Amino acid sequence: MMAVVDNDQKSIFSQIEFAFPILNQQLQTKCTDDQFAKIVNDIKVLNIAPRVDRLVFQSIEQFIRSNVAPVFWKEFTNVTEEEYGFERFKNAVDGLYSNLSEFLPLLKRLQVLQAQCEIAKYLGHSLSNVLGRFNLTVRSTLLSQLPFGHETIIKQFYKIAFNVFCNTDSSIHGNLLGDGPQSQCGGCKYELENCQCQLIVFMFHETNRKLIELELLERLVGNVLTLLIHIRIESHVRKSCEGTFDVSQLELLENWLETVVMNWLTRIYSGGSSKSVALSQPIREAISKFKQKLLHFLYETYTKIRIEQLFNIIIEYPDSQPAIDDLRICLERTDLRKVLVETLQEALKTRLLHPGVNTPDILTAYIAAIKALRQLDPSGVLLETVTEPVKVYLRSREDTVRCVISGLLDDSPSDLADELIKGEYLQLDEGSVEEEDENWEKWLPDPVDADPCKSTQRRMSDIISMLVNVYGSQDLFVNEYRTLLADRLLSQLNYHTEREIRHLELLKRRFGENQLHYCEVMLKDVYDSKRIDGNIQSDTSYTLEEQYFLTSALILSAQFWPPFKEEWKLQLPKNVQEQLAKYVKAFEALKGNRTLCWKPHLGNVHLEIELKERKFDINVTPIHATIILHFQDKNEWAVEELAEVMHAPATVIRRKITFWVSQGLLKETTTDVFVLQEENAVKNRSVTESIVEEEEVESAMASASDQREEELQVFWSYIVGMLTNLDSMPLDRIHQMLKMFASQGPGAVECGLPELRHFLDRKVREHQLLLSGGLYRLPKS
Amino acid sequence: MAQNINPFYSSQSTPSKAKEEKQNVPKDNHAVSKRLQKELMVLMMSTEKGVSAFPDGENLFKWIGTITGPLDTVYAGLTYKLTLEFPHSYPYSAPIVRFATPCFHPNIDTVGNICLDILKDKWSALYDVRTILLSIQSLLGEPNNESPLNPQAAELWNDQTKYKKHLTEEYHRVLNRTQQDS
Repeated sequence: MMAVVDNDQKSIFSQIEFAFPILNQQLQTKCTDDQFAKIVNDIKVLNIAPRVDRLVFQSIEQFIRSNVAPVFWKEFTNVTEEEYGFERFKNAVDGLYSNLSEFLPLLKRLQVLQAQCEIAKYLGHSLSNVLGRFNLTVRSTLLSQLPFGHETIIKQFYKIAFNVFCNTDSSIHGNLLGDGPQSQCGGCKYELENCQCQLIVFMFHETNRKLIELELLERLVGNVLTLLIHIRIESHVRKSCEGTFDVSQLELLENWLETVVMNWLTRIYSGGSSKSVALSQPIREAISKFKQKLLHFLYETYTKIRIEQLFNIIIEYPDSQPAIDDLRICLERTDLRKVLVETLQEALKTRLLHPGVNTPDILTAYIAAIKALRQLDPSGVLLETVTEPVKVYLRSREDTVRCVISGLLDDSPSDLADELIKGEYLQLDEGSVEEEDENWEKWLPDPVDADPCKSTQRRMSDIISMLVNVYGSQDLFVNEYRTLLADRLLSQLNYHTEREIRHLELLKRRFGENQLHYCEVMLKDVYDSKRIDGNIQSDTSYTLEEQYFLTSALILSAQFWPPFKEEWKLQLPKNVQEQLAKYVKAFEALKGNRTLCWKPHLGNVHLEIELKERKFDINVTPIHATIILHFQDKNEWAVEELAEVMHAPATVIRRKITFWVSQGLLKETTTDVFVLQEENAVKNRSVTESIVEEEEVESAMASASDQREEELQVFWSYIVGMLTNLDSMPLDRIHQMLKMFASQGPGAVECGLPELRHFLDRKVREHQLLLSGGLYRLPKS
Repeated sequence: MAQNINPFYSSQSTPSKAKEEKQNVPKDNHAVSKRLQKELMVLMMSTEKGVSAFPDGENLFKWIGTITGPLDTVYAGLTYKLTLEFPHSYPYSAPIVRFATPCFHPNIDTVGNICLDILKDKWSALYDVRTILLSIQSLLGEPNNESPLNPQAAELWNDQTKYKKHLTEEYHRVLNRTQQDS
């Protein structure tokens, strides 16, 4: 650059070198203040101050790069045991600090030069601060040589310090975890007697102070610091979230962050004092920025942990209400809705939706989920998305409807029964929702993850509506209720209907009058039966005749009751039939042109059995009674014989007869041959008593799936008919034909295409149908 | 009449007077469909083997029937398809029943027309598809040789073994032909 240098300039240059020995990579100067002032003056005259300034800084940078930085970084390589990490980091910082301190006289001179020569107007404001520039140079030079793995030592240093800090902090707050005498100090891991905590804290603050002074704190250790605090926050949040959901943790956690963590942070930034007042503005800003980040991290950690536990939280709802509230607040502050949906769905799938779980339990969980998620997200979007798999799964369970209905009618307090008593109108998805009471000023748009197709309904529907919506129609529920009601009425076999009437009224408020008309008729049947029975009992022409036994009847209107399950018709003993015939006659006399058609397998028989030394007084089903009545005529019966006289399958007889065997009335002498026990031969009566078989209560009604099977059987005869005459047909044509010819008239049933395919596939598997080239046909017989 | 008109359409559209009449005579088309629907249901629900029928496509007034030859007759084991066309005045007039599968029988001609009194003058509204099919089925085993439509068959009937031989030959010949066609 300086090609031609005259004498004058040469001399001034050597003078400059004399004043700033750094130009020759030396720090010690022999130049006195007077000499320096003169040289500055010369520089000022020559107007080369900016150039000198730049040269000096270049040299400083070079010096640091070749002398200071390698020394500093040397401590960071060859990472050793944790105990030395603390020491080495401290040494490194100390060394750096003392090295850089040696620059101070030089910097002072530079300042003088700047002030004298009014250099600021050439360099601009940002470069006029000598100390700032120097620090910047140091920082950039140091960081440009950042060695690999330098964070290990920093981490070790801060970890030890943090441990000590947390330890002293927790002992101040008086909640030490281990309450026995400890040989080790919780903070520094030294023996208690020579605890190093005080020393560590002192050295720690000293080091931090130096780093702050060099403006290196944030650059060098910021990452590590954040990492450490994050780990700390996570472990703390995890600890406080353990187990209980019934206390709100959010405020406690915020408090903890504010006091413990921020305290520590403040001390680091202030180099020892915990009072934030004494801090300068930029440091305070840095701390508050840091705090914002940490707070967000706290929310995020907390939310994630709660999301992991959400399934349990839901199960424990409403006891877990505080946790739900916390989560709601946190969800607003974080972006974890999607995580929540996915995690919860996964949890539901693995913990709830598999064959090992009873349907009532799934329903309970579903109801809890409805309630909890409502609380979590009043708009209902979360609920809708999360519980979709549950709905689908429930639809595939056969006994869902039955469980829902029996839940509704449960006498013991249950969620569903409570819901029913609330008595709101049922709202189905398709139904139009009245929105008149909605305040437009409070309207909020749906969250972004909402399905725009169905926006209005979701917040309106209540739990029962949601359950009914699982199937999309209330018919199924009403039918199931009818079956259940029939079962209940037929199993109690008395004329008391108050309870059922109450339930019916409640259900009517939900499902509407029309839907439950049949059920009303059923209840009226029972009521009327009571009256008619009363009339018959007081009818003289009936009572005058000799009665074999007392008879009462439930008279049901066949049209309105669900179909009975009756695979075979029980043949009652002759004298019983005669008595029943008398009852029919009395009824016919009373009711004009109506008659009774007995359902002999339903009912209840009160028997008094007298044997030589025993007397039984027992209530049994007609089948049991018929069996034992046959033993009245003959002591010994084979199962086959009984089956023949009773017109019942032998398997049923064999099953039912065990009741009498367990009662000690019958005894199986040889296989399938039973003999009446006149005398009590069995001495260990108590044993037989205890093994009285629990007769499983069977439903007298055909179940929904049985009914469906029956309906499909109707379709099957149509399908056979059409395939016999039209040879082979594809699925959709069969479907179309069925729709046209088989599903007409009142009480017609529909058969969807998927269900039909399923049904036909089953028939193919059973070899009742052939499928080739997409065409179904009958196999050649 | 132009030659390139589908005779099916033209024959329907030409006698407009007849068409009007046709529309007037059946007072209630709906009632007829209802009756046919009901008959179909009865037929489908009946467990009778050997006779069956089903609407051919969407038209409820045109059915295809299937009967199998009655046991212990020469027709045992053979299956015949029939077509049944119901007039709009059904059941007050008889349906037109024809054999779709050619049938060698004294009372059935070569194009499938059947000579059966209940399908002609002895028709009554009390008959239905099921009884028609059952009557035709029993006609197979008990032909009326007094008024034959197929004299050859009537003549051969007396020799049952020869008759059976001829019948089976005819039947399989037709069967093979239809299979080749399809």
